[in-house]
This record gives sequence, structure tokens and C-alpha cells, in this order.
Amino acid sequence: MTNSKKKSRKDLGYHPKMGTQVKDVVLKPDAPSTLLLEKHADYIAAYGSKKDDYEYTLSEYLRMSGIYWGLTVMDLMGQLPRMNREEITAFITACQHDCGGISASIGHDPHLLYTLSAVQILSLYDDLSVIDVHKVVEYVKGLQQEDGSFAGDKWGEIDTRFSFCAVATLALLGKLDAINLDKAVEFVLSCMNFDGGFGCRPGSESHAGQIYCCTGFLSITGQLHQVSADLLGWWLCERQLPSGGLNGRPEKLPDVCYSWWVLASLKIIGRIHWIDKNKLRSFILACQDEETGGFADRPGDMVDPFHTLFGIAGLSLLGDEEIKAVNPVFCMPEDVLQRLGLHPELLS
Amino acid sequence: MRVYPVPTLLHESDTSWFQSALKVITMHGRVKLKSTAQQEEEKRKEREKKLKIYVAARDACFSKRKEGIMDIEALQLTQQLLSSNPDFATLWNYRREILLHQETVLSEEEVQKLYEDELVFLEGCLKVNPKSYGSWHHRGWVLSRIPRPDWNRELGLCDRCLGLDDRNFHCWDYRRMVVKLSGVPVEQELQFTDRLIGSNFSNYSSWHYRSTLLPLLHPHSPEPPFPLRNARSSSPSSPQMHSHRVCEEQLLKEYELVQNAFFTDPNDQSAWFYYRWLLGRAEREEMISCVYVSREGERVIVAFSRPVNAQAVGLLLVVDGQPLQVDWRSVHPRFRHCPVWICELPPGTISDASNEHNLTVHWTERHTHRDCALYTGRSESWCRDSATDQELFRSELSVEKSSVLQSELQSCTQLLELEPQNKWCVLTIVLLMRALDPLGYEKETLAHFETLKEVDSMRSSYYSDLCSKFMIENTILKMEYAEVRVFSLSGKKLTTLCHLDQLLLVTHINLSSNKLQTLPPQFAMLQCLEVLEADDNAIETLPGLYHLPRLEEVSLRNNQISRLSDLKPLSSCPKLTRLDLRGNPVTQTANLQSELAELLPSVTDLLL
Repeated sequence: MTNSKKKSRKDLGYHPKMGTQVKDVVLKPDAPSTLLLEKHADYIAAYGSKKDDYEYTLSEYLRMSGIYWGLTVMDLMGQLPRMNREEITAFITACQHDCGGISASIGHDPHLLYTLSAVQILSLYDDLSVIDVHKVVEYVKGLQQEDGSFAGDKWGEIDTRFSFCAVATLALLGKLDAINLDKAVEFVLSCMNFDGGFGCRPGSESHAGQIYCCTGFLSITGQLHQVSADLLGWWLCERQLPSGGLNGRPEKLPDVCYSWWVLASLKIIGRIHWIDKNKLRSFILACQDEETGGFADRPGDMVDPFHTLFGIAGLSLLGDEEIKAVNPVFCMPEDVLQRLGLHPELLS
Repeated sequence: MRVYPVPTLLHESDTSWFQSALKVITMHGRVKLKSTAQQEEEKRKEREKKLKIYVAARDACFSKRKEGIMDIEALQLTQQLLSSNPDFATLWNYRREILLHQETVLSEEEVQKLYEDELVFLEGCLKVNPKSYGSWHHRGWVLSRIPRPDWNRELGLCDRCLGLDDRNFHCWDYRRMVVKLSGVPVEQELQFTDRLIGSNFSNYSSWHYRSTLLPLLHPHSPEPPFPLRNARSSSPSSPQMHSHRVCEEQLLKEYELVQNAFFTDPNDQSAWFYYRWLLGRAEREEMISCVYVSREGERVIVAFSRPVNAQAVGLLLVVDGQPLQVDWRSVHPRFRHCPVWICELPPGTISDASNEHNLTVHWTERHTHRDCALYTGRSESWCRDSATDQELFRSELSVEKSSVLQSELQSCTQLLELEPQNKWCVLTIVLLMRALDPLGYEKETLAHFETLKEVDSMRSSYYSDLCSKFMIENTILKMEYAEVRVFSLSGKKLTTLCHLDQLLLVTHINLSSNKLQTLPPQFAMLQCLEVLEADDNAIETLPGLYHLPRLEEVSLRNNQISRLSDLKPLSSCPKLTRLDLRGNPVTQTANLQSELAELLPSVTDLLL
């Protein structure tokens, strides 16, 4: 190629007006800018009492995770005693099936997603005796496939989320050696992409949620040296938008839950300082609802327990001293993991 | 007062991660609206009614299942519920149980028809909720059961679905499954991405797909173009996707395509991410990069090209033909996987300087080894590939092709004239310069990093760390060309340290006047270090000054060391005699002198 190929705007198809607009939101000047801890605790405490609500009923298929979100955020705010421990542990016992797996709710089928949530809840309460732990281990073990991957349940959906669920569950139970770890690691690494990120299955596009699962998985299994931390960290810090919020993939809108998926991943690979913490904090705070308490995905939207947990957990990772320290791998209070003697690897 | 608006089922955001119906339950993308008391009451009644219908249908399904009923009516019942709530996974499971049962009682034609109906139902579900994990998985399951699958119909469905939303990763994954099962040629899929990218450059999903297809279609030649082939292992490459490289010819064509994309829309990140991948290099193969032996302490140190767990990989040390039982330890207890490992030989093995010794380290698992001879009268010896030998920090493209990179650099420079604030363009220019001539372009590179920190201040720490990395790489190259064991990099705003495994042989290091906050555990890889200067930084902790057997002098003037306990790692360095701590908060500690005398008894020259 020669210099005669010198390019002008025109022959390169350079059309500045065709440029994609950055998808983002604008924070209003009157958006909340202080942390409304009491309101959030009241919001979560009241949430479980709306049991006859239509939307509450529709969400029955993920109830166990819902309880985990609520309890974890309450624990991070130092408000765990306000939740009904007896009711919850009895519910979990009732959700364990003969196969050992745990379902989202009574009458639903067991699944790894809810097995992990249940084990996380019981770890918060230090009360694993209410389920048959041995059977849980057998259940998780039985879902590992020949290629090392994990199915979510006996119907065979494969996803790196389930690899995370499997090792997180077993680590909390102190039974990581029950599965073929080498194969499990091999599968997760086969989902690594050109951008250093991870997707659901080999060949799937990188996604911040999956990246959290895979870096968390590699942390628990002590394999973080396999991550291309600089490359992945770059992709992750590019998730921050001018509003300060984070998105989960390129050219998507910001969302409070990515304050968790992206931030926790960056923390795990030792690159959390690559984003602008103050701007992210302002974005998260702006997603609070001053009237009802709770956090929404974006400023001005409806709140829910899911975003409330990930808003609070994100603020904890940013170093907010009003909130307990959260563990970036398990999304549980650090003191709980200390008690269990779990110190998942983090890169420096 | 507020009403709940109707859930937007086809909203733009990509927030439907853990369960897509979270958008019903957890309020993804639902704007909070004000409403009157009357509206509120009407809504409440309506929802109450919906709840009753829903609960009745759910209970009917559950009780039928409990009774083991596997009839068509049960299919219809679950259909009603799943149409509105496709993430009710248990109902999909029930449906599958019924379908499996029906397979045993119906003829093949009837089974075909049953599954075809199921596909029609699923298409409706996906129209309403194109991001439901449950619906997509069930569709894949049906395709695995149906006697005569119609793959063209499935590809058509994917085309339509991606036409509506070209970033729907569920649909992309489904497409990949269909392509695999039906044997669609890779070329055809690559053309598919050509088409999508041609109609809209800003499509990260398509660029991603290309990154997986190109290496299949145009694999990089297995023979690495740089030397030292014989030292390499013959084991299969690591399973990591990004190490799958593309052959050079195709790479050059690809540059052209990406360039068109970023000239069309210079602010779209997709093409720039892809371009950086194209510019990247294959990962280093796993090999032993250095064997070092010292008579003093009778130590052997082995460096690897990647972090390994030497205790687990089957490392065999042979001295003068005799295999020796040794314990390998990483340079710091924090590392289970580490590029540098140490062992002590049994006393007397190599201590007599009048003897010559031949060492070999075998990495049995990788069928590779490295020899090292320790000659008479020598106190130490090593055998290694240097960073310059391996062209560690440069592009892998052959020399004649670097004219192409040069032309790429020119184009990007022109684009920068049009778009002087474009960070993607600036960063790419930096990367091209590094691929071409990292030392020659050092000054320009530094200037470009200043621009980057200005125009993209949210990520200034990223740019600082990346710039530090590049400066360290350059300094390693300069050191290697000069064939010295002195690493000097002061006054370059370093915020982080990396490539420390490359500094294994360094005896003197000067890191003064930078912005370092710590000497990290990796610093313990500098096993030959004698003199450390790190004045005028912001260092608070020294975990990496750990068991450095030859370290004698440490100068840490004007740093941020504030606690005596932060100096504790130094007590593991037996030869330390000189320590300069002037200008650190810790010097204000009461009884510091006596405390330090106890902590660091070998230090005779203490400056506070």
C-alpha cells in the first residue's frame, strides 16, 4: 500500500452525523445523592408481607433467589434480625427434593440456581443443618457433564452460570473436591473470548453477568492466573458511561445491577481502580427511590429487591463505610465468609 | 400515588440476565408514573382478578402433574401460563414430561405433528419475550426430539429475530447451535456476519462472531515465526479462545474491513475492540524461560513463560546426571501459580567452587527441558531466552508486512486529524506504534497517553497503568540490548509494576520519582536484587520485599510508609544492611530505632 491511498472523509465513508449516539441517561440535579439506608431496610422488611400481590405470585419461580437478595442486603445493612428466620429456614427445608436439589418454591422443580441461593441463605444464618448437605453435594456432582460443564438441572441446559453455582455451592459446603475440578476449569476457560470476557457457552458473546460468574468461578477454584486481566479489565472499565453508570455489554444502557457484575469482576481481577468510583457512586445513589426506599435499574424507574441488593453491594465495593464489607465472589458479607474460613483468591 | 405501567416486553436494554422475566418481577426499565387514587383502585381490582386466574391455572397444573396426568389438556393448561410467564421453568419441565410420554403412545407422524405444534407455540412465546432462557432452551430441546427437524426454518427464525434485535445473545447462541447441528459451513456464517456488519458496523455481536469464525477458516500457521522453536513443547495449545490466531493474509484483509468501520463511525467501540484483537499476538507457549543457579545458598530458580504450579506439574531436577529430590516453592506464599519457582539443593551439592556442574530442569508434563552449566570458579550461572530473543513485546507480523502496519498508522493519524478528541483512535495509534517500533515511538506514545487521560478522564487510571506497562517493557528491552543487570525507570509516572518475572536476574533497580503505592508480592521475583532505590513514590506497603537473599540496600525516602508492621517483610531479607526511610510517616513512631534494631538486626546503616 502506498501514500496515494491517502484517505479523505468522503472516500472513507466518514459521516460524522451517522455516528451512534451513546446510550445513556442523564442524572437530574435533584436526584438523591445521599444513602437512604433506613428507607431501604423498611422497603425490604415490608416486601415479603405482600404475599397476595400479583407480581409477587408471578415471581414464585425465583422465590429462593428473591429471599437471598433480600436477606443479603439486610445483612449488609446490619438489619438481618428483622427478617423471619424460622419461616425462611422451614421454607428451605420444604424446598429440598429427594434428589438433594433445592427448588425456588414449594411445588417447583429443583435447580442449581436456587440450590445456591438456599445454601447462601443458610450460610448467612449459619444453619446448614436444616437441609441434607450430603444430598446437595450429590445433586451438584450429578449435574457435571463429561466436558466439565454443569447443567442447571436434569433437563440439560448448559451455562457458565451453572458452573459458578456449582462451585460456589460446594465451596460454601466445604466440598469442592466432590467434582472434577480440572474439567470444570477447562470448560469455563473454553468460554473465554477475543475480548478477554466470557459468555454462556463456548462461542457465546461476552456479557458482564457471565464474566462475573466465570471470574468468580476461577477465583473459587484458584485459577485466576488464567484470566487475561489487562484485556478483560479494559473491556470492563469501558462499561462505564458518561452518567457514571455501568452497562453489561457495549452499546447498552446503564443499570444498577451492573454496578455489581462489572465492579465485582474488576475487584476479583484487581482492576477496580480503572473506573471512576465517584461517578459510579453518584449514579447508584440517583437510582434510589426517596419515597419508598429501594433501588431501581435506572433513575426514576420502579424499585425492586434485586436492584436494591446490587445497589447496596456495589456501594460496599466502592468502600461505603455505612455498609458492611461485601465479598466480591460470593456476594455475601465478608464476615460470613470469614466465619466459614473461605478466602477466595483475588488478583492484586 | 403511582400505577404500574404495562411491562414493555421488547425494551431496548440488556438487563434480562439472570431470569429474563425479572423485568416483570424486578422492575427492569419500568418508569415510575404518578396516578390518581381512582386509577390506582382500578388497577388494584384488575390485578386481583388476574391473580385469581393465574393461581387457579397454576394449581390446576400442579395437581395434574402430581396425579401423573400426561394428556393434551395438561399441555394446553401449561401453554396458557407459559405464554404470559415463560420463565416458569417447572412448567416447561412438565411439558417435556408430557411430550416424552406422548412419544411412546403416538405414531411417528403424530409425534412430528406434536413437535411442530410445539415449535409454533414457542415462536409465539419468543415473539412476546425474545429473551427468555426457558423458551430458547425448550426450543433446542424440541429440535433434539423431533423426528425430522427443519433446520432452514430454524435459521430463518434466527434471521428474523436478529433482524428485530441484532444483539439478542439468546438468539445468537441458538443460531450457533443450529449451525453446528445442521452442518452449515463456516464460510456461510462468515458471509452472514459480512452482511450484518455491512448493514450496520455498530454490531458488537457480529464482530464477536467473526472472532470465533476466522481462526477456524484461516488458522494461523502452526510454526511460530520467531526463533527457539526447539525449546517449545509439542503439547496442544491452551484452550483459550483468544489464543486462536488468524493467518497473516486474512489478517491484512481484515484490517481493511475494520478500518472502513471505524472511519464510518469513529465513536463506535465495536470495531476498535475487534481491531485491538487483530493487533494482538498469540499467547506465549508454556515453556521454561530461564534456569538460574547460585552456589551461595545452593539455590536453583526456574522461570516459566506463564504462571504454573511447579509442585503439581511434575518438575524434575537433574544435577550431574543424578535426579534430585527437591521442594519447589513459589517466590511468595500468596502464589499457588507463579512464573518463578525456587528450590534449595541438599547441602554440599554445588558448594565447592572448584567443581563444574551441569543442571537440567525437565518439565515432564510438557516434554520440555532446559540445561544450565555452572563452571568452575563461577558463583552463579543461568540459561534463558531474553525478552528480545522472544520479541516479547512486539507484533508477530513478518517484517515485509510491517509496511501494512505503517500504512494503518498513517490512516489512523489522518482520522485523528478529523477527530482530535477520539480516544479510540489515539489508543489504536499507540498500539500500532508498539507493534512497529516500541522504543522508536516512545516519546509520541507518552504524549498520546497524556491526551487519553485528558479526553477520557473516567479511565485515567487505566491509561496510567497501561502506560506504566509499556514503559516497563521498553526499559526491559533497553536493558537487554545493553546486556546489563540494571533496571532503571525513574520519573516516568509509573503507577503499577508488571513483567517482574523478566527481572529475575536484575541486581540493581531504580524506581524513584514515580507514583507507586506498593511493592507487590510479585516483586519477590527479583531474586538477584542487591540494591533497591524507590525514593519519592507513594509506597505504603512492601509485601514483595520478601526473602530476597541478596538484597543489601533499600532506599525508600519520601514515601508513605506509616506503620512498623509494614516493614516486617524486610526481616526476611538476611543481607539487608542499609535502609533509608527518611521522609516517611513511620519515622514519627516512638522508639522506632530500637524497634527496628529488633526487627531488622542485620541493618547497620539506618537513616530515619
